[in-house]
Amino acid sequence: MDLNFDLIASSFPLLLAGAAITVEITALSVGFGLLIGCMVGIARLCNVKPLRYLANIYVDFIRGTPLLVQIFLVYFALPGITGSRVDPFFAAISACSINSGAYIAEIFRAGIQSIDKGQMEAGRSLGMSWAQTMRYIIMPQAFKRIIPPLGNEFIAMLKDSSLVSVIGFEELTRRGQLIIARTYASFEIWMCVALIYLVMVFMVARLVAMLERKFDTK
Amino acid sequence: MTKEMIKVTNLQKSFGNLHVLKGVNLTITEKEVVVIIGPSGSGKSTLLRCMNYLEEPTGGSVVIDGIPLTNDANINEVRKEVGMVFQRFNLFPHMTVLENLMLAPMKVRGIIKSEAEATAKMYLEKVGLADKANTYPEQLSGGQQQRVAIARALCMKPKALLFDEPTSALDPEMINEVLDVMKSLAHEGMTMAVVTHEMGFAREVGDRVVFVDGGVILEEGTPDDIFFHAKEERTRSFLSKIL
Repeated sequence: MDLNFDLIASSFPLLLAGAAITVEITALSVGFGLLIGCMVGIARLCNVKPLRYLANIYVDFIRGTPLLVQIFLVYFALPGITGSRVDPFFAAISACSINSGAYIAEIFRAGIQSIDKGQMEAGRSLGMSWAQTMRYIIMPQAFKRIIPPLGNEFIAMLKDSSLVSVIGFEELTRRGQLIIARTYASFEIWMCVALIYLVMVFMVARLVAMLERKFDTK
Repeated sequence: MTKEMIKVTNLQKSFGNLHVLKGVNLTITEKEVVVIIGPSGSGKSTLLRCMNYLEEPTGGSVVIDGIPLTNDANINEVRKEVGMVFQRFNLFPHMTVLENLMLAPMKVRGIIKSEAEATAKMYLEKVGLADKANTYPEQLSGGQQQRVAIARALCMKPKALLFDEPTSALDPEMINEVLDVMKSLAHEGMTMAVVTHEMGFAREVGDRVVFVDGGVILEEGTPDDIFFHAKEERTRSFLSKIL
């Protein structure tokens, strides 16, 4: 078969712009996911029962349902309650953040639990409160250990963000679909899209490896 | 009358169905060094850990320097005043030795940095590790780590110190450097409760030796009473195996 290189060349800038949006969605979602995940992860370990139950329900619900369905819930089902249309960007970011938050909560929980319990005892025996010990002793150590799984979560979200194309949000995958709808050049465009994802994932993986080394030297 | 620093009354502790402490009464007065000995599983570590509520008793009471431990507020209050040294040191690996020593005085007592640093350096000097202030715990030997842990507890200026088998995780040649620090603390009048298997230490610096077996204090007395004139057969057989 003949590849249409002219088409690839002319579509590439459009796809790259889409890739930038993919990175934006991912960074924002994982960023908010970190905030949510940190709080929920700690809530799952604290001894306030209602807080722990709420956190468990959240994590179970998000992990037990597909991201695609969660996106539909925010974009199509939510307006049924609020009565007003949801902006696709808002829907994309909130669905992905809430999804990411649940997975990151589990990463935080595992990271915190991997710290020797003697550390908490040492902190408490010096008169520090649970919160102080968490902040100054447990979290700094846990954070170092959760960098690799957080990197994995970022990579997963980078790829899963392609699902927001279904609500018409123009990130990388949606851009590809739109170009193909116009040109019918399925093979060229999907190969380009795949290649761009691959390069992005590769770069993120390298970045995470660098971070890991940086934190490991101390 | 001498002041009661630690008063444990009818202390009970169960882990599920396992009844570890079955009504322990123990009073430690100011400046007293009490050595707690006993076979493994006897409950001696649990007893020590109940004294600052790292382990919450299932019954009985603990009173530290007149403050009964009842709720979170006075537990934190008491923990400021009662230091603890652990078998496995539990230094904070992400901080330098100096930072390990300065953290709690600054965050709990609200002491300013320069003052906390001066205090920390003084106690490092005291345990013979002034030159290690800026190293990380993992770069130190076990004996050095335990001396740092003692200095860290001292930086809170505690009224009493609890030692939970402080030399059990150490190589034999490092045990004495830690015991020497503990001996000097005892001579300076620190109130101490020490769970240990170091009978030489118990005899030399213990004011009182407490033998715990099966979750109760079976026998207590001066080191001389316990080591040479034990009344209980169980005490004698335990001592004969480890002396």
